[in-house]
Amino acid sequence: MLSQSVINDVITAALATGGDFAEVFVEDRFTNNLALQGGKIENSLSGRDYGIGIRVFKGLQSVYAYTTDGSKEGLLKAAGNAAQAVRGEKIIQPAQLQKEIIPAAHPISLNPREVEKLRKVDVMKKAYEIAKNYHSSIQQVTVRYLDEEQNVLIANSEGKFVEDRRVRSRLAIQSIAAEGNQMQPGFYGPGAHKGFEFMENLNLEHYANEASRIAVTMLGAEPCPSGKFPVIIDNEFGGVIFHEACGHGLEATSVAKENSVFANRIGEKVASDVVTYIDDGTLANEWGSITIDDEGEKARKNVLIENGILKGYLIDKFGGRRMGMESTGSGRRQSYRFAPTSRMTNTYIANGKSTPEEIISKTEYGIYTKYMGGGQVNTTTGDYNFAVMEAYLVKDGKIGKPLKGATLIGNGPKTLQLVDMVGNNLDHGAGMCGSQSGSIPVNVGQPMIRVSEMTVGGTKGGE
Amino acid sequence: MNLQEFKEKLFHIGEQQGFTDMELYYEREEKFACELYKGEIDSYDTSEVFGTSFRGLYEGRMGYAFTEKLDEESLSFLIENAKENSQFIEDEVQEEIFAGSERYEEGSYYSSSLAEVTIPEKINLLKEIEKHLYAYDERVTGTDYFMLSSSETERVLLNSKGLNLSEKKNHAGIYVSVIVKQGDLVKNGEYSKFTRDFSILNPEEIAMHAAEEALSQLNARSAESKKYPVLLRNDAASALLQTYIPIFSAENTQKGQSALKDKTGKIIAAASLNLVDDPFLEEGLLSSNFDSEGVATARKVIVKDGRLVTLMHNCKTAQKDGVESTGNAYKASYKGALTVAPTNLHVIPSDQSYAELLSSLSEGIIITELSGLHSGANTVSGDFSIAANGYYVREGEVQNAVNQMTIAGNFYELLNNIEAIGSDLEFSMGFMATGYIGSPSLLIRELAVTVE
Repeated sequence: MLSQSVINDVITAALATGGDFAEVFVEDRFTNNLALQGGKIENSLSGRDYGIGIRVFKGLQSVYAYTTDGSKEGLLKAAGNAAQAVRGEKIIQPAQLQKEIIPAAHPISLNPREVEKLRKVDVMKKAYEIAKNYHSSIQQVTVRYLDEEQNVLIANSEGKFVEDRRVRSRLAIQSIAAEGNQMQPGFYGPGAHKGFEFMENLNLEHYANEASRIAVTMLGAEPCPSGKFPVIIDNEFGGVIFHEACGHGLEATSVAKENSVFANRIGEKVASDVVTYIDDGTLANEWGSITIDDEGEKARKNVLIENGILKGYLIDKFGGRRMGMESTGSGRRQSYRFAPTSRMTNTYIANGKSTPEEIISKTEYGIYTKYMGGGQVNTTTGDYNFAVMEAYLVKDGKIGKPLKGATLIGNGPKTLQLVDMVGNNLDHGAGMCGSQSGSIPVNVGQPMIRVSEMTVGGTKGGE
Repeated sequence: MNLQEFKEKLFHIGEQQGFTDMELYYEREEKFACELYKGEIDSYDTSEVFGTSFRGLYEGRMGYAFTEKLDEESLSFLIENAKENSQFIEDEVQEEIFAGSERYEEGSYYSSSLAEVTIPEKINLLKEIEKHLYAYDERVTGTDYFMLSSSETERVLLNSKGLNLSEKKNHAGIYVSVIVKQGDLVKNGEYSKFTRDFSILNPEEIAMHAAEEALSQLNARSAESKKYPVLLRNDAASALLQTYIPIFSAENTQKGQSALKDKTGKIIAAASLNLVDDPFLEEGLLSSNFDSEGVATARKVIVKDGRLVTLMHNCKTAQKDGVESTGNAYKASYKGALTVAPTNLHVIPSDQSYAELLSSLSEGIIITELSGLHSGANTVSGDFSIAANGYYVREGEVQNAVNQMTIAGNFYELLNNIEAIGSDLEFSMGFMATGYIGSPSLLIRELAVTVE
């Protein structure tokens, strides 16, 4: 993408004013985005992103400059802009760049760039037909298709020089069911670190039918009551609760400055005994998987909480400096337009011993959430919230009537202590996570779990 | 290759390849951002980037492609991909390449005095704010996010029908989230201000706003979960409005994703509500003389005395509805597809002050902050159940902050349940914002409130 000698010159220029570390990130990304609405392709967009990010550290100061100008002059200008923010005399010489070959951990068998767009359109139309024909109340179906090939080169003053190719594919199906004045959406968006083979092997029947089934079910749902209840959260995308309640609070971004509620608590009991929480970027071809992170570190499996005890954090290079700890292969960014910071990959609650049937039958009265929407957390206070896409009332150990408009709120550290049952049906769901270094693909996952008490905000009012 | 040269070559190849009408859209951005943490520069970002997108009619259908490289390879990349992409487009109404409006406003949204503010001056402002923050109250212990950003953007629209439009804008902003501690209790509060006039960024005021926001949360208590009259403070009101702005887009009514379909000319809100989209607002961050298709922008009343006057349109949605474009064509960036979005859209303030609205509440809740809007608000049905922070009010006076809560209701009903509108118009710029949205504080008859 860029020659070693140019990169060496850029790193040298970036260190000219006393920086103690410099890094170059080159990105060349090809994307295809298609949107189908009402059975017809409405948008088909292709593009190429190309840019370079240059980062300089001096102690606990981080400087970042990025540009779309890939000429040597353009790069040296950006390196100069970065160096300008650092004051001092040159203190280090960059190490000799050593090209490192890291085999792709997530092999791709069918590069989407080599697949005719017509085949992509076919997949979308099939998904549309299935979702639309699910039920007469399905008024509208939108199908979005995304594929991307992101080529990166990462080099730094420690001599690192690695390249990586990340190929991802995702299909997102949104169904809207309508009756009278009522409209309810249902959504499913499977994705993987795979090429077009992902689309060819995708169980379209399952995902398209589920999106429509959620919408139709919610159309007939009653407003959710509000108050404090035991809450059962189903597997797969249900794991978004821990992503918010706990995952973000374990990132160096908030831990390094000791702002997080989890700062300085390694070895302490932060969750109930049944909770083991893991971030694993190595899971084969999963949506949130990586071969190397955006600082060139190899992906790994990081155990964050084990049987309730806090074991570790998610750390990037810069966060690690303030914490005096090593990177955990967690430095990620949306693109060259963002400096990397500590982020999650595939994060999940490990399997427990209860069966889903057991969890439901042991719940006298509560809320069962089958599919979650998105959420948000304030990592300083630990307060989180997230939306429920499909919920039911649980009464006398049985799943009852569907409920709409439920939002769950709570405090991460408190909720972790209140998890009283963990199921044995772990699964993962794809999502996008937005934070300081942009929007990145992540998986959230868990088996079915139960929290003994959560605050449920619904439209129906108190019960 | 420079832009003009690139355009000439691109349109030439495009014509040879069978494209009839073509457009090249170009954006260039220079940005500076800096974070300060306890007197030290924590992060410092500078950038200079550009990107360009091609849109062209091939066999009567519109194809799209974009690139961030102006080289020979990109010429063929754009043409080939746009051609292939055009072949799948099946919409009965096609986009068009716009020949140009009769006249364009000549407003300037570029401040040369802002452009002259140096980086040391910007860093100094952060240092001043930080000094005032820690001096304000001893319970202020840190910041979890404290930054200044400034940007300068230029966009150019060139097409084969002879249109040649360009515009340059700039703005700067401060965002601060401050942490306060009292015993074991930790709370934070945020404040942000975006402007084109650097001189209005007063460090003492910014520090006070942020610190007060955090400190006021320290006496949070629970409250009964029930239906309350709710005073949505201006910043919370504009955040909620921001989330529901898509319902005023014709693209969404046409797709069955807004209940305002066929409501033009009808009453949709309380008679006190007036909503206007004003692209010529002097301080508006999204002020502009032309939209993303090159149509001249216009000030328009969207809701007048509670009645829906018009939806927002681009050329394609206008053609479908048999009306004229309202100049609201929008692209999130040069990369994006054309959609519909407001410019500077706001609720017209009344003459009732915030204090007057507050004193009219015998019992109620003030909402100062909403979070999780991207997930807790259903823009299709209008239903929302959103996490919130705020205060409990009795006999017209704030009693205490309230623990984290949710407010739940339906936005279409809320529009009809506006009891009073304040005079304190304030704009907000969400991070994923499409539109610069403003609102005064709004008094809502009743919302379901659940308190943790």
